Amino acid sequence: MLTEYFKIAIKNLRTRPLRSWLTILGIVIGVFLIMSLLSLSEGLKATVLKQLRAIGKDIVMIIPGNLSDIMTTFLGGAELTEDDLNAIRKTRGVEVVIPNVYKAEVMKSQGESKTVLLFGIDLKNALEVYKDDLGMDMAEGRWPEAGKREILVGNLVPKEIFPGLKTGTRTTIKGKQFEIVGILKSLGSRQDDSMIGIDLDIFREITGKKEGAPQAVAKIASGFSPEEVAEDIKENLLETRRRQRGEEESSFSVLTNEAMTGMVSNIMGVIQLAVFAFASIAMIVGGIGIMNTMYTSVHERTREIGILKAVGAKSSTITSVFLIESGVIGLVGGIGGMIFGLGLAKLIELVGQIHPVFYISASISPGLIIFGLTFSFLIGCLSGFLPARSAAKLKPVDALRYE
Amino acid sequence: MTETSLIKLENVWKIYQLGKVELTVLREISLEIAPGSFVSILGPSGSGKSTLLNIIGLLDTPTKGEVFLEGQNTSRFSEDERAQIRGKKVGFIFQQFNLLPNLNALENVAIPMVFQGIPESKRRERAKFLLSSVGLKERISHRPSELSGGEQQRIAIARSLANNPEVVIADEPTGNLDSVTGQKIMEVLINLHKEEGKTIIVVTHDPNIADYSEKIINLKDGQIASDHLLGEKVLWESKK
Repeated sequence: MLTEYFKIAIKNLRTRPLRSWLTILGIVIGVFLIMSLLSLSEGLKATVLKQLRAIGKDIVMIIPGNLSDIMTTFLGGAELTEDDLNAIRKTRGVEVVIPNVYKAEVMKSQGESKTVLLFGIDLKNALEVYKDDLGMDMAEGRWPEAGKREILVGNLVPKEIFPGLKTGTRTTIKGKQFEIVGILKSLGSRQDDSMIGIDLDIFREITGKKEGAPQAVAKIASGFSPEEVAEDIKENLLETRRRQRGEEESSFSVLTNEAMTGMVSNIMGVIQLAVFAFASIAMIVGGIGIMNTMYTSVHERTREIGILKAVGAKSSTITSVFLIESGVIGLVGGIGGMIFGLGLAKLIELVGQIHPVFYISASISPGLIIFGLTFSFLIGCLSGFLPARSAAKLKPVDALRYE
Repeated sequence: MTETSLIKLENVWKIYQLGKVELTVLREISLEIAPGSFVSILGPSGSGKSTLLNIIGLLDTPTKGEVFLEGQNTSRFSEDERAQIRGKKVGFIFQQFNLLPNLNALENVAIPMVFQGIPESKRRERAKFLLSSVGLKERISHRPSELSGGEQQRIAIARSLANNPEVVIADEPTGNLDSVTGQKIMEVLINLHKEEGKTIIVVTHDPNIADYSEKIINLKDGQIASDHLLGEKVLWESKK
């Protein structure tokens, strides 16, 4: 029976092709927005989470200040002092502490001078942590040796910053000669992939940043719970500040990998919700378009409805035919919007690969596709519901008399 | 009620409420139609012929009174139940043909069968049979707009017979046709009555049809002015 109603509905839609297509276009635009934005934000989320997952579970990050006003911390230049770092080191359960230090410096190579972000790498104490827990993997060459003027570069450096740079290339930073010995595999973020890494002690020596660090990373010894150690680190830091500087109101954020993953998921969730909410407005406009078309259609086909009822169609039959029509408009619009939306997302991903201004991947999951199609079909049915009901309510005699 | 009546109306009234004014279109109509009879409804414009026909065909409901079809009181039926009975037991032929413009002849004839859940192959077979019986075998894939008035009305007749109904109801079936074509349409209806024994109820102005009828219901101002049986002399009050 339903297939018969479906045939009737399709026939009706094809009788007014221009109007049907224009209505479908309204839905295409809505679904296009939702699909492209959702797939890109989902891709972004996946990229960030992948980066976090590359980091070991027993790694915690220590940042001075409250996370709620993280910009204040960065702009205000709040840093961890050497005493803070020692307090972290002394906390039970902490295996090793890596100060996260960086500074912009001019690097000269192959006759070119460029400002790069120089990172200090604690090769002496924490080489294994970089390898095993922070996901650093060598694409080419080897790790620098502690105490030697050797450089490790991110994988974007030979591609973009110093094209043609190879292992063995010599460079100059602050008047000192260095040699490139290793090129890393991509770490998944543009900032990390543009890094120039040198031994921590040499970094401190040539940059003049003798102690402290803007942030630090601690590896938790096995057998300890990262959450508990994170709490202890926080307490120790507060205690140290109180004792040594008399500071009553200091704050630190100690984040476990799990907490960071949770935060990213939350933030991305909010972004996706906002994206969805805005794109839904386009969808609602499309739905109103369907409603408009369906009301016009009921109006024009009043007599046909009367005929169908006269020859035995029940009210539910009329409702079904109209609902199928609006549902098909929604569904076809959904398919169109999906093709364009996911196409655009893929295109952006491709552009991102050719010109890596950003790392973004389009996430096209079966779930997203099913969601998009179901959503557009439901919007269609929902928009068609009132017109369909008004058609079904028509009395056969009145409908037949309609001119 | 006699066991033999197919349709029976008991004290039927139809009153329309137009704002504060009440318009009584039918008053105190009681009548019986025997199965297999040929009935004409006559009367001047506005006398309530079409309203009466619609109530008999279960397209409309009376304001007061009861309508029985094969002994069943239809007044208490829901809209959907009436639709179901209409589709099965009543065939309609209208003055304006009322074919669906998007469907071809075959599909138009088959559509009442869709609502009775008849499978497609059987629908096609019967629709083809009905179309060829009204002489439109060559026209099955034409749409109504490609056909003449007479052809369209013959499709409508074929459609009215789709579910092999007990009764065929025709509201001025020749009103939109020239006299020669109208004559042919009437012949088709008369044949249906003669050869297939269908009960036929026609609203008409055509005296020839009235003459053929076994029963003539003459309406005036919503009331039955006279109820003639076959062989009685008909007094014409309206001429067309």
